[in-house]
Amino acid sequence: MGGKCPHRKVKKRRLSHKTARRTKFLVKGDDAVYEALKKPEEERRPLPVDEDLPGMGQYYCLHCDRYFPNVATRDEHFKTKRHKKRMKQMMGPAPHTQLDAELAAGMGMPDNGPKLMPM
Amino acid sequence: MRLEKCWFCSSTVYPGHGIQFVRNDAKVFRFCRSKCHKNFKMKRNPRKVKWTKAYRRLHGKDMTQDSTFEFERKRNRPERYDRNLAENTLKAIKKIDKVREDRAAGHHTLRMKGKKAKKQREEAKELEQGITLVKAPSVLQEEPSLTLPKIKVKVSHQESQENRAMEE
Repeated sequence: MGGKCPHRKVKKRRLSHKTARRTKFLVKGDDAVYEALKKPEEERRPLPVDEDLPGMGQYYCLHCDRYFPNVATRDEHFKTKRHKKRMKQMMGPAPHTQLDAELAAGMGMPDNGPKLMPM
Repeated sequence: MRLEKCWFCSSTVYPGHGIQFVRNDAKVFRFCRSKCHKNFKMKRNPRKVKWTKAYRRLHGKDMTQDSTFEFERKRNRPERYDRNLAENTLKAIKKIDKVREDRAAGHHTLRMKGKKAKKQREEAKELEQGITLVKAPSVLQEEPSLTLPKIKVKVSHQESQENRAMEE
């Protein structure tokens, strides 16, 4: 992790670790992002106003799970290599889940038993 | 007693073993050992790590579709206890396990089928190149079993006598 830091003069340490410093519990997992992206446009709720987040939490990148202070920075982010890489990854096959692990171990699909309420 | 499967390597996690991580969206991730847990923390994809079951399945190393896979399932509504059923199940487990093992072995032999000639070629080359590691080059020259046998050629006596006559 760690992107380029333009202001750093020390040649050896030019990478910034701002994103790495974010608490691990604040970063969304790949499967959570994938599921959020799969939802149709209409179901996505408008972003809630949160004064603790950059730009009141209004400028958000769904793929990378990042907030930006304004539209310009967000659009600039959309042009970055990292974002494009992430987008490509999210367009691909669904991330690994517990169900995949169980199927790989030689188990069948989960058995929920007969329906209790006959429809 | 529920035997869970490891999220990363798909091995069985027995009660009291491994570690479990519950993410703040209530998703549960179980790991059989610290190796798998560490690999998860490093955000590795099990589909790209060669020693996991997920990789082996995806790349055709293991059997993928088989009727024996339908028996072991996660049952969200448990079966009511029945002595006869339990007895029969315990008997069946052994048989089914044997069938699965045989089929897996068959799959493996089928997978390795076309590789005999290639393996032989590679090994012959290795032997040719590395024979000096087994026998020193000087020994190799002296020992008759490792070199070509010497052929005795008969030289006729008459010719020599004629030659002598010519010289005189």
